[in-house]
Amino acid sequence: MGVKAGATVLPGHQITVADQHRLSVDDLLPSKIMHPGDAEDAARGLRLCDLTPASVVVWGGGTQLRLGSPPRRYDIAFSTERMTRLLEYEPADLTCRVEAGMRLSDLQAALGAQGQRLPLDPPHPERATVGGMVAANTNGLGRARYGTVRDWVIGIAVAYPSGKVARAGGKVVKNVAGYDLMKLHIGALGTLGVVAEVNLKVQAIPEGDATVLGHFEAAAPAVAAGLQLARSYLAPSAAIVLDRRALWECGLTADWRWTLALRFEGYAREVEAARDQGVGVIRDAGGRVEAADLPPAFWDEAREWSAPDGDVVLLRAIAPIASIPMLADAVPPEASVIIQPAAGVVDLRVAPSSAAPTLQRMRSLAGDEGQVVVASAPPSVKLSLDVWGPPPPGFPIMRALKQALDPNGILNPGRFVGGT
Amino acid sequence: MGAGVPFSQMDSGDRDRLLARLREVVGERYAFADPYEMRLYQYDASPETALPDIVVIPATSEEVARVVKICAESRVPLTPRSGASSLAGGTVPVEGGVVITFARMDRIIEIDTENLRAVVQPGVVNLALSQALRPHGYYYAPDPSSQGACTIGGNVATNAGGPHTLIYGVTVNHVTGLEVALPSGELVRVGGCKSAEAIGYDLTGLLVGSEGTMAVVTQIWVKIQPLPPVQKTLMAVYPDVATASNAVSAIVRTGILPAAIEMMDKLSIQAIEAASHAGYPLDAGAVLLLEVDGIPAVAQELGERMAKVCRDNGATEVRIARNEQERQALWKGRKGAFSAMGRLSSDFYVMDGVVPRTKLPETLAKIDAISERTGFKICNVFHAGDGNLHPLVLFDAFQPGQYEAVLRIGDEILKLCAQAGGSVTGEHGIGLEKRENIRYVFSDDDLEVMDRVRRVFDPHLLMNPGKVFPGNGLQPSALRYPPGYPRRQAVAGGEDLWV
Repeated sequence: MGVKAGATVLPGHQITVADQHRLSVDDLLPSKIMHPGDAEDAARGLRLCDLTPASVVVWGGGTQLRLGSPPRRYDIAFSTERMTRLLEYEPADLTCRVEAGMRLSDLQAALGAQGQRLPLDPPHPERATVGGMVAANTNGLGRARYGTVRDWVIGIAVAYPSGKVARAGGKVVKNVAGYDLMKLHIGALGTLGVVAEVNLKVQAIPEGDATVLGHFEAAAPAVAAGLQLARSYLAPSAAIVLDRRALWECGLTADWRWTLALRFEGYAREVEAARDQGVGVIRDAGGRVEAADLPPAFWDEAREWSAPDGDVVLLRAIAPIASIPMLADAVPPEASVIIQPAAGVVDLRVAPSSAAPTLQRMRSLAGDEGQVVVASAPPSVKLSLDVWGPPPPGFPIMRALKQALDPNGILNPGRFVGGT
Repeated sequence: MGAGVPFSQMDSGDRDRLLARLREVVGERYAFADPYEMRLYQYDASPETALPDIVVIPATSEEVARVVKICAESRVPLTPRSGASSLAGGTVPVEGGVVITFARMDRIIEIDTENLRAVVQPGVVNLALSQALRPHGYYYAPDPSSQGACTIGGNVATNAGGPHTLIYGVTVNHVTGLEVALPSGELVRVGGCKSAEAIGYDLTGLLVGSEGTMAVVTQIWVKIQPLPPVQKTLMAVYPDVATASNAVSAIVRTGILPAAIEMMDKLSIQAIEAASHAGYPLDAGAVLLLEVDGIPAVAQELGERMAKVCRDNGATEVRIARNEQERQALWKGRKGAFSAMGRLSSDFYVMDGVVPRTKLPETLAKIDAISERTGFKICNVFHAGDGNLHPLVLFDAFQPGQYEAVLRIGDEILKLCAQAGGSVTGEHGIGLEKRENIRYVFSDDDLEVMDRVRRVFDPHLLMNPGKVFPGNGLQPSALRYPPGYPRRQAVAGGEDLWV
């Protein structure tokens, strides 16, 4: 907090060597740093970058920088670290407005004090920011039940290279005025503008919370049980299938090769009934339900599992849920895996050496209806992989949108789909 | 509906040449320019009317793409139209040109319960989809009150809501993919469709709610969900709307999120009771209709808990529907509320403002004051759970000056909503009606970015022109009326117009 709010931010401050390394992206080091104090300040900073032009990598908590292709250029680390305020929060309206740099855990603490929460649980909430969650579209394990970032963001303020701040949406939960530009920025990795403020819906913390573990000898019945529950009325809030290694990495051991972990949330009686249904479905599928003492951090560990560090590569397949059994079947034995059958998501941890062949195999199986991306990888591995895969239909429109909003291409150049 | 104003932007030679080209695509029968035949296509459920130059009724996505391309090449405006139940003039062809309608594209292409998806053409009626899903044990959640008439294509255009959006969200939360015809003539599939998402920018999310100003939607992938085992509906009676509004906030604070919370004020109750005898007490100042769904034990418990909160917060009577028949009776009053207004007035003008839930009491008081000051009666029937107001201003279209006065009242109410931190439209869309009011919620800078995004799709501004964006004081060129012409068309009592 070295600069007073309202003071002019110069076109990039000097950066210390320590910060250069802290803020490196895929081994590229920034030359300068900007840390605007609010949305207007961010827009002024971006304008200066645009005039130069200087390329910008937007920094929140840095938890998702292993996602995306390496940047083509990296001049300025554009940090939201000073934009951390909870601007508005009215519990009875179930809405809030926050600055992009606010840590998710800080937001959850403020909401929790009122018995409420944001039901999105991306990895590393103690570091991840609200803006980063929006830009990277990071979703945790509750996505099949609670939806994704796009279902909870009701308004947005974005700083553009033009020097302007423009808003879309609003502060109310139901609103169709103007274009839904929130959707455009969610998952855009900051390539269309810098998300400066976010308006969110929130919900009451559920009364009940229960977990059931079912153990299986094979993946198929575990996945099938997860899918059956997904299609039922009392769907779990999270349902994951873990292989023995992934289970161990989440802090549990089992004698069985596969585990279906179910989490139920809701009204107390609803949770009770859903748990009974879950146990029944597991047993019918030939699984064994054990009254294990679940370590309290199990679900947190499972969430962090998909954001690994070091040499580990995480591949993520997203496909129609009916094709999840086929994808699960194709997981190579050397990979560890967490499958979310109800969400149609398969996360694989693989060693750098087997990343390329596994990626290729999963892509050919996912076909046109699915997609497989490199969700996290060290820079050396990324350079040898096609991180996003082939550009999707409609890509010319995407490129034209980028051109319309960031004509000089200063925002995260090269990191997004198709080199955008 | 009264006659529209004969109007043509196109030179008749140009029009005939264009008509011939369009007929090559869709066949002789499905493209026409006869003013008499086209009268059906000049209006929607809003007050405004304007005649197109040509109406075209394609049968396939490919035909739509070719029609769009021909219009773009000829620089002719194109207005998509489906159920035409828009309350904001979204489908009125104010710049003339071609109206493309989806009467022949009304097929449910696929019901895929394995992947929890349905694939539909834009002309599928909302309710027809849920009816088709019911035997499979599923339904499509967004349920605008006009769901017996409006189509999924129109729902996508306006990002339509409905009473049950409180818990299940609006159209955009249920659409996972679109096939669209771009002005270039290309047919593109965007979004994850049967997957949860696709890589790249979320064009599906952007296109939903863009009111046909970017591309023409030709096919839609939607999520389907299991039918709730039980729905519990209760009615709570209050002395006034302020007490009822505070009860709504009290319920939300308990952590219960009902599937729907609807409110009706005194005047609405009187109209509804006169029309449909739903059983609402005539001496009530306000009635709340609350619904929860779930397994029987949960629905029962939540119903009782909500009843207690209602009583603790000033309800003079709480009645829980004991069976489906009683439940339907309670909903019948709400769903028929708009047509019941015919008991009170020959015409009404419906607004669609939104305020934060906690601002409901003060906003309703201000609306009441406007009614007092102007002498126009204003009924309130609305989605209280999400703060989505539908004030109905009662008037007589054939009294000179009344329609204009009502428009000024509408403008004032929308300004109130915006000032309370809300929005000028919750589910009806900006359309033609609110294109100036959009300035109450967005700055020039906000609109400039939206305009840039639109031009990426539609550089010549041919897609549903005259909608969404302010006209900078200019009326769309086709909106010309002879002096004294009653612009507001009467919506007679008994006609089933729902919101």
